[in-house]
Amino acid sequence: MALPNKNDILDSIKRIRIWYAGLFIILAIFALQLFNVQVLQYNHYKNEALSDQLKQYQIPATRGIIEAHEGSSIVPLVLNQKLYTLFADPPLIKNVEKASAQVANIIGGSASNYANLMKTKNTQYVVLANKINPDQNTKILALKDAGLGTQGLDYRVYPDGSLASQVLGFVNESGQGNYGIEQALNSELSGKAGQLKAITDANGVPLAASKNNVEKAPVNGSNVVLTLNLSMQEQLEQILKNDYKSTQSQGLSAVIMDPNSGAVDAMANFPTYNPNNYQSVNNPALFENAAVTNAIEPGSTMKILTTAAALDQGVIQPDTSFYDPAHWVVDGFNITDIEQDGGAREQNIASVLNLSLNTGATWMLMQMGGGQINFKARSALYNYLTNHYMLGKPTGIEQGYEAVPTVTPPQDNGSGIDLTYANMSFGQAIQLTALQMAAADSAVLNGGTYYKPHLVDQYIKSNGQVVVNKPVAESTNVVSPKVSQELQPLMEYVVQQHLLAGFPYLNFPANYIVGGKTGTAQIAQPGGGYYANKYNGTYVGFVGGDKPQYVIVVYNIQPNVPGYAGTYGGQPVFSDIAHMLINNSFVTPKS
Amino acid sequence: MTYSSSLAMNRSRFVARSQNSVSFRTKERTLGPISNTITLIILACLLGLLYLTQVTKTNAFGYQINNLQQTQAALVSEHNNLEVDSARAQSLNNVQNSPVAKAMTPVTATAVATN
Repeated sequence: MALPNKNDILDSIKRIRIWYAGLFIILAIFALQLFNVQVLQYNHYKNEALSDQLKQYQIPATRGIIEAHEGSSIVPLVLNQKLYTLFADPPLIKNVEKASAQVANIIGGSASNYANLMKTKNTQYVVLANKINPDQNTKILALKDAGLGTQGLDYRVYPDGSLASQVLGFVNESGQGNYGIEQALNSELSGKAGQLKAITDANGVPLAASKNNVEKAPVNGSNVVLTLNLSMQEQLEQILKNDYKSTQSQGLSAVIMDPNSGAVDAMANFPTYNPNNYQSVNNPALFENAAVTNAIEPGSTMKILTTAAALDQGVIQPDTSFYDPAHWVVDGFNITDIEQDGGAREQNIASVLNLSLNTGATWMLMQMGGGQINFKARSALYNYLTNHYMLGKPTGIEQGYEAVPTVTPPQDNGSGIDLTYANMSFGQAIQLTALQMAAADSAVLNGGTYYKPHLVDQYIKSNGQVVVNKPVAESTNVVSPKVSQELQPLMEYVVQQHLLAGFPYLNFPANYIVGGKTGTAQIAQPGGGYYANKYNGTYVGFVGGDKPQYVIVVYNIQPNVPGYAGTYGGQPVFSDIAHMLINNSFVTPKS
Repeated sequence: MTYSSSLAMNRSRFVARSQNSVSFRTKERTLGPISNTITLIILACLLGLLYLTQVTKTNAFGYQINNLQQTQAALVSEHNNLEVDSARAQSLNNVQNSPVAKAMTPVTATAVATN
């Protein structure tokens, strides 16, 4: 065999080199492109990848629950529960008749309605039902129908139905508290949502290996324990429901307060509503806690506060008597009593309250001014109303809304200011809510300390820390302790006299102290003046043993009763409440 | 004599007779540049695989965490449901309308004897 010649070998080598060069060029192109993509455009592609893979989630915080007292226990009043929205994907439902029948069988409702919804065209999402419970959800999922699905959402649940509904309020679909405690303490109850930023897989599951993961845990809302006594609350609501019918009222509100702390033991209105079904309420006024939002002219119950102010200033004594002319002319108008009781004659402080003499209250106001209604008298009463009884501002109770009391300043406004103040002394021309009245009366009955009314007993934070909401004494010299002690028997006298006057339901056991005052208030007309035949009935009273243990205020709006609204509309409600407290051993008898 | 020729001579002693040995390799066998490159590439790939296995293992923990969190959420939800059921069962309205309550004597006015 002939050996390859030198030229052939060189040609081979040359061809090999050409191939190597070509290969090198191709590899170089790849390398350069890789360098371009992985180094020069690193940030661009990294950001593109992250924007697709990095998901941001908000981790919702759990809303705090609301609890209240039941005897010595604390029981839940408002809870959270996951309920489900049932939806259908119409194109994926193979057998509409079968699916709709199965759904109706599980959750109730009309199968034909469900069938119509399932036949909806041009959509892949149709809601069949909201708020189905977990058991129903499990049964729906067990059907394994590709065209049916459920989505869980946290809802607020009120297991006791309408109990304390207007005090509690409700949480709307957006998770915001409306009215009541839910609104007032929305921030504390909501907590703070957490955040999760993580690179996820195709199913959205966070990948633990990613160094870009950021997780901030949610801070759950605080639980709130209310001062309410639930059995007292339940029985109060039952009393209001019954008396609303029997007095043919247009609205009934009542507050039971502990005068020695400002804690609200029970507060209710009728009519009311069920917060589990707030969406079906047509009248938004039902959402309001009228005991806190409805400021009305209280009528003669105001005489308690006028008497206390006069006693505290020393311008009268409990046994002071005076000549009552049965009418006063103030700013050209006659001040008379609602019923001419014996005409002009000697009266005393006890009869002013018992007979509810407007002329008597006006006389007390005159004493504050040295014998007549003047700037001194007006200033004195205004001072007591605003700085002692705190009626110049809302109480700040933990409710979504509170009406501002209206108290006319004492300066002469050229519009019959003396007449205005004369009216104020017996509870007209001044507006306050049942709660504001309860707080003021508590202060004059407990020895002179004004406690800020409150509904919250304690907060329990998500970390378990308990924060007790201690009573706040906003003023300690509302009236002197001596005045408190003088006022109680005057109010007890009123109850005893009314018992003797023919109201046997005011017969209370001898080892309890029960005092009170009726109020029949005219209702102002729009544009001025008062209606001739429309009245609100009010009552302020206390029940106790050695000292007043509960202050009770009743507001009965336009009761249709055969007599004075206060006597026939307010007094029986107070009596029912007082008997309820005594019979259920809520009151400690005299020692 | 050079070192390599001395090595060659040493090796020649181990050569059997009549084998017509022409020459003795003095150089050790080594890898050429292409083999080196390929070997390095393979090693790098192996390292990459090793990294992937570790990352996958860590991510597998992520799935476990996710499963545990879902289980926890389901248990919390079940707890809440039971709490609601319990509260409903103990609600005053429920108790008031129960057969036991209906069989009770209603509350009447209390009279207390005094001296």
